[in-house]
Amino acid sequence: MTAMTKPITQTTPSVSEKAKSMPLWKQITMMTWRNLVVIRRTPASVIPGLMISVFFLFIYEASLSGAATFFLAGQSYLAFILPVSIISASLSGSGLAGQYIVRDIENGYFDKLLLTPISRIALLSGPVFAGAFMLAVQTALILGVAMLMGLESATGFAGILAVLGFGLLLGTGFAGFGVSVALLTGSAAATSGASFAFFPLTFLTATFVPINLLEGWLKTAAEWNPITYVLQATRSILLEGWNWEYIGQGLIACAILGVIPFVISLWALRQRTSRK
Amino acid sequence: MSSRQIIVENLKKRYEGDFYAVNDVSFLVNAGEIFGFLGPNGAGKSTTVTMLTTLALPTSGKAHVGGYDIVHQAQQVRRIAGVALQDIGLDPVMKSMELLVTQGQLFGMSRMDAIKRAKELLELVRLSEFTDRPVGKYSGGMRRRLDLAMALVHKPEILFLDEPTTGLDPASRRDVWAEVRRLNVQEGMTIFLTTQYLEEADELADRIAIINAGKIAVEGQPAELKAALGAESINVTFGDNPTVEKARDALQSMVDRAQIDRKTLRLYLQNAAYAIPNVVNKLNELQLQPLSLTLTQPTLDDVFLQVTGQRFEEETEDEAPVEAVA
Ligand SMILES: Nc1ncnc2c1ncn2[C@@H]1O[C@H](COP(=O)(O)OP(=O)(O)OP(=O)(O)O)[C@@H](O)[C@H]1O
Ligand SMILES: [Mg+2]
Repeated sequence: MTAMTKPITQTTPSVSEKAKSMPLWKQITMMTWRNLVVIRRTPASVIPGLMISVFFLFIYEASLSGAATFFLAGQSYLAFILPVSIISASLSGSGLAGQYIVRDIENGYFDKLLLTPISRIALLSGPVFAGAFMLAVQTALILGVAMLMGLESATGFAGILAVLGFGLLLGTGFAGFGVSVALLTGSAAATSGASFAFFPLTFLTATFVPINLLEGWLKTAAEWNPITYVLQATRSILLEGWNWEYIGQGLIACAILGVIPFVISLWALRQRTSRK
Repeated sequence: MSSRQIIVENLKKRYEGDFYAVNDVSFLVNAGEIFGFLGPNGAGKSTTVTMLTTLALPTSGKAHVGGYDIVHQAQQVRRIAGVALQDIGLDPVMKSMELLVTQGQLFGMSRMDAIKRAKELLELVRLSEFTDRPVGKYSGGMRRRLDLAMALVHKPEILFLDEPTTGLDPASRRDVWAEVRRLNVQEGMTIFLTTQYLEEADELADRIAIINAGKIAVEGQPAELKAALGAESINVTFGDNPTVEKARDALQSMVDRAQIDRKTLRLYLQNAAYAIPNVVNKLNELQLQPLSLTLTQPTLDDVFLQVTGQRFEEETEDEAPVEAVA
């Protein structure tokens, strides 16, 4: 039916319609803020993470501090184990950004945003920055508790801030994995699963003793595991002082753990937002 | 100012396998028109809307919205089109003001302007009193109305509404109708509206198209379509199917068109009222006892029945015992 016999004529839209849009930095700030507001209204999503990291810190300190301190030359086991707690918090916290994205995909708001002139970068960085903020809160909380437990840092308060910085860097870089899974699958289950996939990384390393005390396959695994170098850097900051070689290695490890997920997440964003 | 037209040419959308959800659809929506896009569940209405609003790519075919190509000028289409999708996409923990202001700012308004616009729109959809409540706690109708407001934030020239009144109570439905008419008349918006309700299309639309199984079955003005059916019909209901068929065979020659719909025989003809005595006499003669006999003006429902061989309210999958006899 409906024979389309009419000629297809149309007035070409005028150029003056050149649309205004929001500057990118403002979009990013706004999207970050929005995600923080959402987090504040759904606190259940972050509280378990906070509790668990502090809980681990207590357990490790209480159960291991007496037994295994011979290698510590009188330094505190708390300062030795604290970085483990922070790194595991970073890895588990890195899943937050992905969860925020899945939430929006599921409730349909993601599509609604796609129908506006929003920049794809703002769509990605809003949740990532909000996740980073939560990670900073979480790490600061762990550090605060550790200080109450008598943490002493060889490099003073600046060192504690540096450790916090490492935690943030690691967690934010790693957030790319959760984000990628979120964008590719749109599934909450897959996304929270993904943040556990790298949990073993925190154990296949010099978790409880220095790397030179490890043996066999665990030692090999630890040498290849970038987390080992982050641990080494943060431990040296708390126990010895500013060891720039270790810090440099730690930063490189963070970069490796961050850049790869970042690239994947950009590709995943393209997959999600390209029309099919 | 864009051309405010929607031009769709041979649009197709294929999903997995060889299934065409939209299969060679063409139509034209004139500037400033309310266009009703009607069809049963799964007909391809939403698929058409997602393509025209740049959320999905057509498999083949072309379409221009406001003069912009939906494939190559998606950004421009988004600027001039307002969209309220069938699945309302609103973050449940956010509040109406936040959603509207965010939307406005993303479209380039200053924060102050976005707030002003948000207040205006909340007033319009009568949600001003509910700004403290997260939208997840809104009723279905309130959420629909807010979603309509979201679609209007950037003063679009062409508005797409995918089943805007589904799930609304009659009062809210009339509100939406009034608002759609106002937007059309006062702001000159072109409105593309999908609906399951024939009365809604009848009420609002300047022109309609009926889509069925991915194809346009008929397109035109509601009045014109109804007129094409041959005015009124006499409906005679019987107790069982064989009787209906017998009656049809006997009466077919007396009318323009006879059609069986379950146990009812519909006889379409001009000046139906005058034909009633003849129909009754013929039935008496054959000793066919009708259960009821009514006279109706044609409705869009009849148009639908005629073009698709189905009653409208039924699911596509239903095997409706309907048989058209021309
Ligand atoms: N993403 C998809 N993948 C595969 N099939 C799809 C997809 N989206 C829609 N379909 C199919 O395409 C057909 C048309 O769906 P569509 O949503 O366009 O119908 P509709 O006319 O909007 O129906 P309703 O009145 O129920 O909203 C249906 O058979 C549906 O199952
Ligand atoms: Mg639909």
